[in-house]
Amino acid sequence: MPTIVSIQNATKDYRLGKVTVPALRGVTMTVNSGEFLSIAGPSGSGKTTLLNLIGCVDTPTSGVVEVAGQNTNILGDRGLTHLRLFTIGFIFQSFNLVSVLDVFRNVELPLLLQRKTSASARAQRVSELLDRVGLADYAKHRPGELSGGQRQRVAIARALVTRPQLVLADEPTANLDSVTGQNILDLMQELNRTDGTTFIFSTHDARVMRHASSVIRLADGKLADQAGGHATAAEVAELGIDPQGASLS
Amino acid sequence: MTGIWDTLKVIAQIALRNLFASRIKTLIVGGIIAFGAFILVLGTSLLDSVDAAMSRSITGSIAGDIQVYSSDSKETLDVFGGFGPAGNDIAPLTDFAKVRQTVLSVPNVAAVVPMGIDMATVTAGSSVDQVLEQLRVLANRIQAGEKTELVISDYTSQKEHVRQIIRVLQSDYDNVKRVRADSPETTDDLNAVQEANSAAFWASFDQDPLSHLEFLENRIAPLAGDADMLFLRYVGTDPAEFRHTFDRMTLIEGQPIPEGKRGFLFSQYVYEEQVKLRTARNLDKLKKARDIKGERIAREPELQRRVKENTTQVQEILLQLNARSTELYRSKLRTLLHSEESDVGRLLATFFAMNDNNFDERYRFYYEQLVPSLQLYKVRVGDTLTIKAFTRNGYVQSANLHVYGVFAFKGLETSPQAGAMNLMDLVSFRELYGYMTSDREKEIRELRAQSGAKEISRENAEQELFGNAQPEATQGIGPTSGSDSPKLADELSQIAGSRTRSVTKDQPYDPAQLEQGVMLNAAVFLKDPRRSKETIAELERAARRDHLPLAVLPWQKAVGITGQFTVLMRGVLYTAVIIIFLVALIVINNALVMATLQRVREFGTLRAIGAQRRFIWAMLVLESVVTGVLFGLLGVLVGGLVVTWLGHQGIPAWNDVVTFFFSGPKLFPVLTAQNVIAALVVVLLVSTISSNYPAWIAMRVSPRQAMQSEE
Repeated sequence: MPTIVSIQNATKDYRLGKVTVPALRGVTMTVNSGEFLSIAGPSGSGKTTLLNLIGCVDTPTSGVVEVAGQNTNILGDRGLTHLRLFTIGFIFQSFNLVSVLDVFRNVELPLLLQRKTSASARAQRVSELLDRVGLADYAKHRPGELSGGQRQRVAIARALVTRPQLVLADEPTANLDSVTGQNILDLMQELNRTDGTTFIFSTHDARVMRHASSVIRLADGKLADQAGGHATAAEVAELGIDPQGASLS
Repeated sequence: MTGIWDTLKVIAQIALRNLFASRIKTLIVGGIIAFGAFILVLGTSLLDSVDAAMSRSITGSIAGDIQVYSSDSKETLDVFGGFGPAGNDIAPLTDFAKVRQTVLSVPNVAAVVPMGIDMATVTAGSSVDQVLEQLRVLANRIQAGEKTELVISDYTSQKEHVRQIIRVLQSDYDNVKRVRADSPETTDDLNAVQEANSAAFWASFDQDPLSHLEFLENRIAPLAGDADMLFLRYVGTDPAEFRHTFDRMTLIEGQPIPEGKRGFLFSQYVYEEQVKLRTARNLDKLKKARDIKGERIAREPELQRRVKENTTQVQEILLQLNARSTELYRSKLRTLLHSEESDVGRLLATFFAMNDNNFDERYRFYYEQLVPSLQLYKVRVGDTLTIKAFTRNGYVQSANLHVYGVFAFKGLETSPQAGAMNLMDLVSFRELYGYMTSDREKEIRELRAQSGAKEISRENAEQELFGNAQPEATQGIGPTSGSDSPKLADELSQIAGSRTRSVTKDQPYDPAQLEQGVMLNAAVFLKDPRRSKETIAELERAARRDHLPLAVLPWQKAVGITGQFTVLMRGVLYTAVIIIFLVALIVINNALVMATLQRVREFGTLRAIGAQRRFIWAMLVLESVVTGVLFGLLGVLVGGLVVTWLGHQGIPAWNDVVTFFFSGPKLFPVLTAQNVIAALVVVLLVSTISSNYPAWIAMRVSPRQAMQSEE
């Protein structure tokens, strides 16, 4: 399996006024193509920061983050934006749909930004995805007219519309009730299996982690078990997941 | 493959829908923009129309496109005159022919009209004087042996008119006597009136009419006191050339001043405002206020004042009535007023005490029934006007000019500024102005030598005249009786310091004289008025070349403050517009910044999923531009409709000064493409500028903002 994300000793400091707050204190990890990886950890553990680095919306203070073979440190804003547009799909905790556009347009948006697909090809691709997320009948609806679960499915369709190598999901079920959250995870997992798209999602919900092919635990900006990296055997046994897949250096 | 067009489409789509989604913000921002555009279109259209109207009437009535005058003048030329009694201190240009030659050497000049503007007093004769004058003529004819029935009947009737006048005066004095303690003058005057009213006076009248008339003229006529002193401003010019070049001039009554003749044309405004009977003027003003402005006597103190004034002005009518018309008035007024009153004065006073209910009826009655027996204007077309002016040399010069007609400048009929200007021939103007050319000075020197008179300077006049009591110095005072030439006597009287001389009305002049001699200023007409600036520079160069001390002004600067009006108004409008748009800029900017801050997650998301910064920027600027264009168009449309509507309805001038600026009783504003485009450009600029800062903020939103979760 080729490596899609490779992180070497990445740190990230945020400045809050005069105080420097270390969000990541040296993380080293790789993610292979096709993984369904969960980044777990309590609030403030650095999950979102790590996801930001992987998602190319931020660059590390030190260390190297490579996404799809590109060193994000040297890309600059335009380059990062380009990388995000063509390589990464995003699913947000609060869905983040463009409220003034209907479902169809929301899903189509990344394709329009890419400016590489004809209108008919776009229409076909969008319909196909809406079909897959079960919202074919909702194409003309505005996000405000949908339930939370439906919105998140629109977001998933939007994230996948460009056929990205990597889909990042930031607490994708945090704003959903447990049944709906379960459905969303099932959908993501199914897409992971059928299309081979890499999914990385952050969560602090154990039930969500259960779906992951591998789990990375963060605490205080470091991988929780720096030596092993993988979930403890007990946890793995408890969750019933295969610890293979997420390999730590 | 899809191009930038699709991206623009999605930007537009998001932008438009956002505008709709945040309706309140859009309405606030749009409202400001629409209001600004509306004000701009309306304001600039109105100003342009006022500007065009004013420039049309001013250039076409008195100023021409450019004015030239002597650069030695102490003041800047103002053809509408300074407001002081001395008017505008302008140095004379001695030879119009030279000025004309220089001015016409500039290719863009189409015509040049010489002018001199000055002011003089005119006594409009009292009606008693006129009646007595007529009586004197008849008496002379009878004395000369012309004793036809007609003449005698006229003479008798005229005598009766005089007695009527005296009776009116008598009753006036009886009233005065009742209210005022006897002062010596009153007693003297009363005695004179009583004598003139006595049966004895009239019994002896036919024996010696001339001495009786003299008494009446000297003692009684001044008491009638209806002689008005008029202050007339006039422009002396080449009447034919003036009429030909100034296309706004229209003759209302009479005829133009014939070529080579001295003459005077009344401005209609002056004629109506100063020469017409006071009661008629008041009635006209009341009618205008009621009909045009919809005012009512009952509500307006100003109108009540006019009504009241008319009730006290019956004397000006009574003095004009002879026995026949008195009787006529009595019966007509009694019928109208259902009154048993026999005193015509009281009947008239009752008649003039009008109210809103009877005004229209009485106004008609006044003009249809009363006016035919009256002389409505104190000076009529065809009369001779005696104009007295102070010359530059300090003596009083008078000219008797035939009044040929009444004229008005189209569009400026009711304007006090332009309407104050009467017209006379340039030759008479020069006489009244009293400037002596070197030729004339030479001629006078010769005359002086012939008569043996000696020049007396002002400084030592007293000594010269009285100190040494030299016979040859005093000899020259007053017309020399022995002189065989009236011209010589005239000139001599001037030289010797007599304070008055006069020009008779019938002295014709050679039209070529207009060409030569003094002028104060000249109106220059251009073939292409748009090239005024260049032409002014060319005229200045030509004047330097020909060593003429010529100052050149565009008409806007030659009409005093009047010409600056639109410039001033434009300044006010633009300042207001700038303030409106500065406020708009701040308010719009603020509204957009607020809106942007509320949309941080949206921008972050767009950035995260791959939108470049310029996409965000373009989206926000587009939102503003769309708002600007839509609401700007709305504002322009409403403004345009209002202007068009006003263009149909006309904006009525609410007073005489406004009439001048409107160049007529109503302004019909015209909408031009320029107004619309200017407004749209400004609006677009403002909305683009105001959206830049918020767009910059939005552009800087990090895609991380999209990831912001509860963490």
